[in-house]
Amino acid sequence: MTQQQQPATTGPGTTIPAPSVRQLTFQWAGGPAIPVLSVVIALLLGAVFVLLSGNDPVAAYAALVQGAFGTPYDLTETLVAAIPLVLTGLAVAIAFRTGLFNIGAQGQLLVGALAAGWAGAQFASWPGIVLMPTVIVFGVAGGAFYGGIVGFLKAVRGVNEVITTIMLNYTIVFVMHWLLQAGPMSAPNALGTPASTPIGAGARLPVIIPNELVLFSRLHAGIILAALAVVVFWFVLWRTPLGYRLRAVGLGAHAAAQAGIDPARHMVLVMAIAGGFAGLGGMIEVSGIFGRVYDGFSSSYGFDAIAVALLGKNSPLGIVFAALLFGAFVHGGAYMQSHAGISSNLVAIIQAFVLFVIAAEALVRSLTRRRGARKPVEAIA
Amino acid sequence: MKRFLAFSVLAATIVASCATTGTPGASGTPAASGSATGAHPRIGLVTDVGGLNDKSFNSLADKGRKDAESQLIVTTSVTESKQQADYVPNLTKYAQDKYDLVIGVGFLMQNAIWKVAKQFPNVKFAIIDGAPQDDGGKTENLPNVANLFFKEQEAGYVVGVIAATMAKNKVGAATHNTVCSMGGIPIPPVDRYIAGYQDAVKTVSPTTKILNGYSNDFVDQQKGLEVGKSHIAQGCDILFQVAGGSGLGYIQAAKAAGVYAIGVDADQSSVAPGTVITSALKKVDVAVFQTIRSIRLDTFKAGDNSFNAANDGVGFGTLDKVVPADAKAAATQALADIKSGKITPKDTVQVKP
Amino acid sequence: MTLEMLIGASVFAATLRLAAPIALAALGGVTTERSGVTNIALEGSMLVGCFFGVVAADRAHNVWIGLAIAILAGVLLAGLHAYAAIALRADQIVSGMALNILALGLTTYLDYQMYGTTGTPADLPVLPDVQLGFLKGVPYVGDAIGSQNLMVWTMGVLVVLLQLSLFRTVAGLRLRAVGEHPRAAETVGIDVRRIRYAAVLASGALAALGGAYLSLGVAHSFTDGMTGGRGFIGLAAMIFGRWTPVGALAASLIFGYGNALSTSLQGASIGDVKVPVQLLGTLPYILTILAVAGFVGRSRPPAADGLPYETEGHA
Repeated sequence: MTQQQQPATTGPGTTIPAPSVRQLTFQWAGGPAIPVLSVVIALLLGAVFVLLSGNDPVAAYAALVQGAFGTPYDLTETLVAAIPLVLTGLAVAIAFRTGLFNIGAQGQLLVGALAAGWAGAQFASWPGIVLMPTVIVFGVAGGAFYGGIVGFLKAVRGVNEVITTIMLNYTIVFVMHWLLQAGPMSAPNALGTPASTPIGAGARLPVIIPNELVLFSRLHAGIILAALAVVVFWFVLWRTPLGYRLRAVGLGAHAAAQAGIDPARHMVLVMAIAGGFAGLGGMIEVSGIFGRVYDGFSSSYGFDAIAVALLGKNSPLGIVFAALLFGAFVHGGAYMQSHAGISSNLVAIIQAFVLFVIAAEALVRSLTRRRGARKPVEAIA
Repeated sequence: MKRFLAFSVLAATIVASCATTGTPGASGTPAASGSATGAHPRIGLVTDVGGLNDKSFNSLADKGRKDAESQLIVTTSVTESKQQADYVPNLTKYAQDKYDLVIGVGFLMQNAIWKVAKQFPNVKFAIIDGAPQDDGGKTENLPNVANLFFKEQEAGYVVGVIAATMAKNKVGAATHNTVCSMGGIPIPPVDRYIAGYQDAVKTVSPTTKILNGYSNDFVDQQKGLEVGKSHIAQGCDILFQVAGGSGLGYIQAAKAAGVYAIGVDADQSSVAPGTVITSALKKVDVAVFQTIRSIRLDTFKAGDNSFNAANDGVGFGTLDKVVPADAKAAATQALADIKSGKITPKDTVQVKP
Repeated sequence: MTLEMLIGASVFAATLRLAAPIALAALGGVTTERSGVTNIALEGSMLVGCFFGVVAADRAHNVWIGLAIAILAGVLLAGLHAYAAIALRADQIVSGMALNILALGLTTYLDYQMYGTTGTPADLPVLPDVQLGFLKGVPYVGDAIGSQNLMVWTMGVLVVLLQLSLFRTVAGLRLRAVGEHPRAAETVGIDVRRIRYAAVLASGALAALGGAYLSLGVAHSFTDGMTGGRGFIGLAAMIFGRWTPVGALAASLIFGYGNALSTSLQGASIGDVKVPVQLLGTLPYILTILAVAGFVGRSRPPAADGLPYETEGHA
């Protein structure tokens, strides 16, 4: 494939060619879309563990795939599980593109969820046409605020974002405990469940698959929001001057500064945008699944997002596919346990092998073609 | 084009699996579907997040399931929920497969149980520590759901009687007339234990000093240990843990200092013999077992099923030999008084941190 | 709120206990990143050290064997990462994350298989505390350091050792060279790959020591996922400490202090207002952010940190 156009040495007057969506997909596909061999290796390694635990690997994998895609209901559930991962994956990826390591998608998602949950309950009587956009705005703004703090601290004080994101992740967990456990946001008739007041009907994302098609499906309109977010991601990064500048910063702050771009200001901006994506993810979970904010509802969306972003090579469709893979593991893994008796920890082990092998294989091959996805933990001097 | 090939093979595999009919021929686990009225009732257990080995409700419920599988003629299956969004699909899959009973563990599942039970009125459900709760947060009893409630404050009360008696009489290492407790986080299932404990101490020995704290965690033992050390430094001799895995650290602090501890939920005397003087039992395993048995015997009772002192759903666990006879007698009497209604332990915490 | 709650001897003692595992992980981080390899699987190495240390101590009825096996487990896990990062030049973040997931899944699985019904044994051999009898009467100091665990002291010694060797020995110089300019280092005959392997394996050992301290020194048992993110906090401490052992220790102490406060301040009030217990939990994190933003600011990692290196002969 000749889609690789190495950027000209960055400096004043050079341009970074903007790849099309097609090119991006091929780029990504050339990496971890995986000669079937490497996935097979991972599955074989996992099979060894399954065998050692006294189970039948073939049955186990059959259950995994069947659980994830076997019935239309399962398909919709895999999608439901993937949706928040798409958004947090975008949150991590857009930061990576600028050379920042956003471990904070977890916290940003929670802040967005809290903001959206609060607004949805506070204005519960408003009609959907007004309330839904309001709740979306609150979710995005909440996450953007939380991400912006990280960018701000880095820009103004040079604080490495790895530190602030990890710390802020934990902080919001405890703040949430306080808010929801008989605290200011706790529902008045919660009967002891640490959860917020339920949001109004106008703020709930409707299920978009009628019961006649898939009985009791939970697939909600959040999938449309997620798809839009993916488009926005692509558009911002590759079709706007801002996106150009962000990617330039990611390829080298020195060079970017030479080209007249101020890295500091863009750090705040990109972390806010990243936080906005994650916050939207939080809002979607509240509006589409729970209807209120439950304490601790998100255990690992933000964390899995890092793997999703990297597996997807920080490209829009790559992230979608990686999120689907993870969603399949979540939903299919549960079926593996309930119907093939495979411990959920074995599912995690298999998932780890898949990740590990994908990481090793993909990047050996693409080492010479690496572009845009900056290595983390690197301060932009 | 090699990549396209790879892609299409992967896609084909996925599509092909969608066409897979029937269930995997798994070894050793119930996989047959569609036998709603088979001789072997099928029971599904969906745990809360926190894993099967959480030293708390999940592990007790799992024990009940395993007991049922070995003692009753049922086949069981368990699914661990990894996050809260999994509750509904985990419950639904069992219901879709026409299981005879689907049990959910934990109050966070109240809305999920309500949703799925309404969708599958012919499947029986049970929920531990809760009742079906609609989207607006209102409780709604359903004809196919058994709400298994526990009166933790009663268990807390009887162990509080033991603690208070020992503190009052300065038994063994309990020389400072101070008792304390540590919760994971201040949520009702935790606080009810502590409330009963404190109520008993105030009743039996009003001069005894009471301390309370939280580790803000149900897993981290070091946090529990630190709270324990802090309480011991303030003179506490009897430490009541209500914090799952984190509470084990609280017990360790007691062990290191040579004082006493009280376990929770399950009998924790084996955790630190000589240190753990008793445990506040919440017989989740018994509740699960009995509910499964009610399916077998066709005596399933929907709505509120209370497990308390009156039906041995709560109690106090193995007493260490250091516990004097009068403490044991007082606790036994207290249990009887609760059964008869003479004592109603408080369920709100009086002494906060 | 009393002064005792803020800076009492018991708070100091708690700070040391809470900081030790984080500092050990951070030391591991310093070692590996100074050589140019990012190892976020420190959490995983810690966790396997935690678990296998307990298993070995239980089976062999000997805590030193337990400690040795813990280190071995941590080294093995780190070895996988080293192979992926150095030989295969894989993405170091994904590799690290994969190994963390592996460690959690494996230890949880084995814990359930081996100790699921009974829990880890109550008579587990444990890492002893070092009782400094001569300090018994001494005010403050006696309570603060008079009976800390052996591992806490070990951590202190390791900090000094690592700081000295990193910055005062030839070996340390080589390590740092490999992390800053691997190409130049190779030119003068330094074996980049070997040093990186050694560094990553050492980081696994250090993290495992922290894990063994948690299970064999503090908790005297194992519960699933008991490291609770300390490996990641260690990474933050490493960055906060500017990739130096002493800095990492300082950062860990600040974090440990915040943690200690979240216990000692329970029940304290500022004026009339009682601080909610849940918000106390945020103390270590807020404190760390403030400390970094206020006092440390920018910190620069080794220049070649996280970048796969191709030795001569490759394309």
